Amino acid sequence: MAKGIGKIKIRTPRRYKKGDVIPIKALITHPMETGFRKDKKTGKRIPAYYISDVNVFYGGELITQMQWTIAVSANPFMTFYLKADKDAPLKIVWKDIKGKVFEKTVQIKPQ
Amino acid sequence: MFKKAFKVFICLAILLLPLLFSKMARAGDEIKEYEPNCTYEEYEKTYLDFYGSSTQEMAEEGNPADLMLDDGEELFKTVAGTRGKSCASCHGENGEKLKGVAARYPKYDPAIKGINTIAYQINRCRVEKMGAKPLKYESYDQLALTLYVKSLSNGMPINVSIDGPARPFYEKGKKFYYTRMGQWNFSCALCHVKYACKRVRTNLMSPNRHHADHWPSYRLKWGKAGSLQRRFRGCMKNMRAKPLPYQSEEYRNLELYLTYQANGLPLEVPGMRM
Repeated sequence: MAKGIGKIKIRTPRRYKKGDVIPIKALITHPMETGFRKDKKTGKRIPAYYISDVNVFYGGELITQMQWTIAVSANPFMTFYLKADKDAPLKIVWKDIKGKVFEKTVQIKPQ
Repeated sequence: MFKKAFKVFICLAILLLPLLFSKMARAGDEIKEYEPNCTYEEYEKTYLDFYGSSTQEMAEEGNPADLMLDDGEELFKTVAGTRGKSCASCHGENGEKLKGVAARYPKYDPAIKGINTIAYQINRCRVEKMGAKPLKYESYDQLALTLYVKSLSNGMPINVSIDGPARPFYEKGKKFYYTRMGQWNFSCALCHVKYACKRVRTNLMSPNRHHADHWPSYRLKWGKAGSLQRRFRGCMKNMRAKPLPYQSEEYRNLELYLTYQANGLPLEVPGMRM
């Protein structure tokens, strides 16, 4: 099931001023297999496959970091708050345990 | 003399008994419709009290099935099969010619002498017009393509016709809806018409008005998108009946019946449900 993995949607508020604390919402499609599930037909275990590290960069600077495990649901959705004090790109990087890296950049533009 | 008359009477009675039973059996074939237990507005109110608005908020924040639309659009433009055609080569570069079409489906198709659904038609198109392999039902590609084709008519009111040749199939679908089946002897109508707004253990039963206007939908229980027919199969498993294969005649008729219940509502794909 390589299809439909790593599609990303990041949402920011439409309008905000410099210095405002804004919510950033990010969604990524990923199966997040726990490694405990069995294939119903063959009876074999489905190997674990999940996102382990999430890094958020704001203008090149690492601002937050998350470590996820199997407890996080499939297609994880996250929200965090950001103080929009500069006009800079916001980059979110997801890394899964097979070493695949998914990333997306949005521009933070305080008005 | 009296004895003879009695014998004749008994004979006649024995002869006529099967007739009587057959008449009773025919009366049993007629659908006994239920009165809906509640209106949709009442249901929405009960739903909010019961589950809260968390699913709705989640859907507003981002539906994972939205991300399938790009894949669907790509597939729409991909050339496949022996004739060097893609969906886009007949239906317009961005599917202009398909706008509003999905709102009229499922509909009667004389070529198959039955009811045609979008997913079924996509596979027919692929086999007959493009010379390509049919897509497996409920596979990622199949759902993405169906989602894209349906999304072209998003917001348009559903307008399914049950006149003329579609009428007998509508009746069949309705009969299926009201047929008791499975170990628990349930019918679709029992939960979704007669006992709508009541609780079945931890579930709240919904009336059937909005059942067919948002598929393929992302369902939290499945963790991915699925079609209305996958939901039918799930429902039939819950009733402990044997689920039927995808796009079987019964399911296509049932889809027509349910979509007719949603007539006039805007089509909203992809939906997001619990």
